[in-house]
Amino acid sequence: MDTLVQQIINGLSLGSVYALIAVGYSLVYSILLFSNFSHGGFIVIGGYICYYTLAAMGNNIWLSGFTAVMGAGLIAVLVEFLAYKPIRERTSITLYLLIASMGMSIVIENIFVVTVGGRFRALPPVIPTNPVNFFGLATTSAFDLLSLVTAIVFLAALQLFLTKTKWGLAIRAASYDLRTSGLMGVNVNRLISIVFFVAGFLAAVGGIFLSVRYTLFPQLGGITIKAFVAAVIGGLGSLPGAVLGSLILGLAEMLTAGFISSQLRDIVVFGMLIATLLWRPSGLLGKQISEKV
Amino acid sequence: MSEPVLKLDRTDKYFGGVHAVQEMSFTLEKGELAGLIGPNGAGKTTIFNLITGVYDVDGGKILFEGEDITPYKTYEVIRKGIARTFQNLRLFPRSTVLENVMTACQQHHKYGFFEAATHLGRWGSFERETRKQSMELLERVGLSHLAEQAAGTLPYGYQRRLEIARALSLQPRLLLLDEPAAGMNPDEVNDLNGLIKGIHRDFELTVLVIEHHMDLVMEICSHVICMNFGAKIAEGDPEHVQNHPEILKAYLGEEVLEA
Amino acid sequence: MSGYVEGIIILLCVNGIAALGVCLLTGFTGIFSLGHAGYMAIGAYTTAIMTLRYGIHWLPAVLAGGLIAMTVSYLIGVPTLKLMGDYYAIASIGLGEAIRLVLENGGNFTRGARGYPGIENFTTLPIAGGFFLVMAVLMFFLVRSNFGRAFKACRDDYIAASLLGFNTARYRVFSLAISGFYCGVAGALMAGFLTFIQPVMFDSGKSTELVAVVVFGGLGSLSGSLLGTMVLTLVTELFRPISQYRMLIYGIILVIIMVARPEGIMGQHELSPRYIKSLFSRKHRTAKATEGGSGL
Repeated sequence: MDTLVQQIINGLSLGSVYALIAVGYSLVYSILLFSNFSHGGFIVIGGYICYYTLAAMGNNIWLSGFTAVMGAGLIAVLVEFLAYKPIRERTSITLYLLIASMGMSIVIENIFVVTVGGRFRALPPVIPTNPVNFFGLATTSAFDLLSLVTAIVFLAALQLFLTKTKWGLAIRAASYDLRTSGLMGVNVNRLISIVFFVAGFLAAVGGIFLSVRYTLFPQLGGITIKAFVAAVIGGLGSLPGAVLGSLILGLAEMLTAGFISSQLRDIVVFGMLIATLLWRPSGLLGKQISEKV
Repeated sequence: MSEPVLKLDRTDKYFGGVHAVQEMSFTLEKGELAGLIGPNGAGKTTIFNLITGVYDVDGGKILFEGEDITPYKTYEVIRKGIARTFQNLRLFPRSTVLENVMTACQQHHKYGFFEAATHLGRWGSFERETRKQSMELLERVGLSHLAEQAAGTLPYGYQRRLEIARALSLQPRLLLLDEPAAGMNPDEVNDLNGLIKGIHRDFELTVLVIEHHMDLVMEICSHVICMNFGAKIAEGDPEHVQNHPEILKAYLGEEVLEA
Repeated sequence: MSGYVEGIIILLCVNGIAALGVCLLTGFTGIFSLGHAGYMAIGAYTTAIMTLRYGIHWLPAVLAGGLIAMTVSYLIGVPTLKLMGDYYAIASIGLGEAIRLVLENGGNFTRGARGYPGIENFTTLPIAGGFFLVMAVLMFFLVRSNFGRAFKACRDDYIAASLLGFNTARYRVFSLAISGFYCGVAGALMAGFLTFIQPVMFDSGKSTELVAVVVFGGLGSLSGSLLGTMVLTLVTELFRPISQYRMLIYGIILVIIMVARPEGIMGQHELSPRYIKSLFSRKHRTAKATEGGSGL
């Protein structure tokens, strides 16, 4: 029973980090209708900025965290400007965007490989990881609780942004029909930049927590595949779906690792993807995007 | 008595809360040239999409030559003998004019995978036949001199003709034309009239045309169905429909009528 | 001919076969895949295991490698390709990982991450060349047929394609299966050339290489993909000293091509005497101008 509660908390904690990543990814998908494979790069950028600013500015997690998320957000905007904007302005073939996103993903990962090297780096212990007694039910780590709380805070902030601000409304409109929202007076380019900033921002938060959990290395972005799967399970393009899918995935992973085998984790993830596509391809909360013929 | 070519039986379609098509029923007999008219957003293209299986029906039935095609997938419906053109043109822009037509025409000259990969067996004769039939159709619509040009580079009016040629090469028995005259000037509409009347006669087709150009519809159609807000508001021959108060109201608005 | 040059040519043939498969899938059918190296791995390991463990002759083993890769691709394709959108692309990343995991944890059967040594060196120059020629001819013929037009229709406008009577889901799966076969055979021949295989040889880097080659050569041009393979293989050999920049360069190439010239080197054209002649004629240049003007 003890282990079960522990694994559930672990699962929710991991799932909440996935949620930060999946939501940003789903946000971009809902607006531009393509899978941005470079999303993982934003995670890694967040992690490295945090790492280096911690070293340079004396282990102040708040300052470093802030720098990291702002930096990642801005770089995400830059990526969009350099790689995606020229393509989407010229053609509506999403295959080109997909290939370009793959290219950017490789570029980002390998810039780190080539400059700072591929070795694993541990972040200094600025985020507490000491064991905590969870309501007498189980012993869990402070880290898990903190990542869960942080994720909830940021997701709530995102929800407020989307429902209570002007740009949030614009984004929701654009997710139904980008071109029409442009015709209604929304500055589409600026909207896309904002969306990418938010995506990069959230990914960086996730990246910091992932760096603590798994140590930091250039290929850390590869974990984004799990966020992609979570987004599909929840319904590509749906933000609540991304969160739901992420939590389910995190739980499934942790329960598998805890009770069956750690090796099988990733196979379970992949299996859930195929199962979703076989039985409920639009995902749990997904909307059907029907094209006007 | 033979079965009507097309019969819609209380067909319903909802898009979320919008009742886009309301218990639509009509019948087309073999060889008719019919028109489907109505203001923008009336649901005309939706009817085409329902017939061709692009959308699923929420209620009612659709029968083609007596057979219930309601549950069929799009490609199955097409293979039964129905073809359509599009309001917004859906050519393959990077392929040549000839290739566009051959892609459709090949459906009637099918050969197998091994013949395709080895260019043996029926590949040679079937490819020649497909090419020949495609060129004949292009000549019919006056585009054979542009056969090797990229379809996306054609002038708009020619692209529309190409779409018609492509639809014809499927050898359909029912042809659905979605606003074929959109964007055309009166001279072009005249030419199109002639083309539609000609192919209706020469290929022994049943044709259903969605159109806004009243002159086209009134001149070539013998049977007109008018829709508004998803429901049928009038049906009959052109004279009857032209003077129907509901139609005038739909197109011109109530205030104008009462004025 | 020196052994080194012979080796390069064999490598070109083998990579070329894989490139043709990916070109069919991505260039002609418009499906993006990030895990095709996984199919190469399946082909390689099937052949290794069949020849070494069960003593089967390499020829049926290579074909079996292709067929098993084809079967796996078919099984993944059926649920993912009937859906429009990037579902196959996402699934393909997962598949690549799953294959790698299975190979690394296959115990004695797959020899794990340390690799599988001692494979018979059956891929000689005539064998590689022979396989390449046959499979290239079949592919060139296939795209110049009703299947080729069907694939392109699915790529260019799947709604229009289904309204021309094509079962687009079936054609997409079919294209994937063929590309799986090609990559499987390429992997099998690779095993017979290197005589030693490791899961890491067929990682996402290899998959990216395949995509880069096809994109560079031109989506929609088989000869473009082969040209791309040649350029890439030669450049990799020449620039061995800076091989740690290899992946970075692939990434940059992909982005630059998509931004500046998404049609790649050859666009949709195939290398032929007629094409080369047309490059020098004024008619081609004016035609290109009008083509570019109307946009895609």
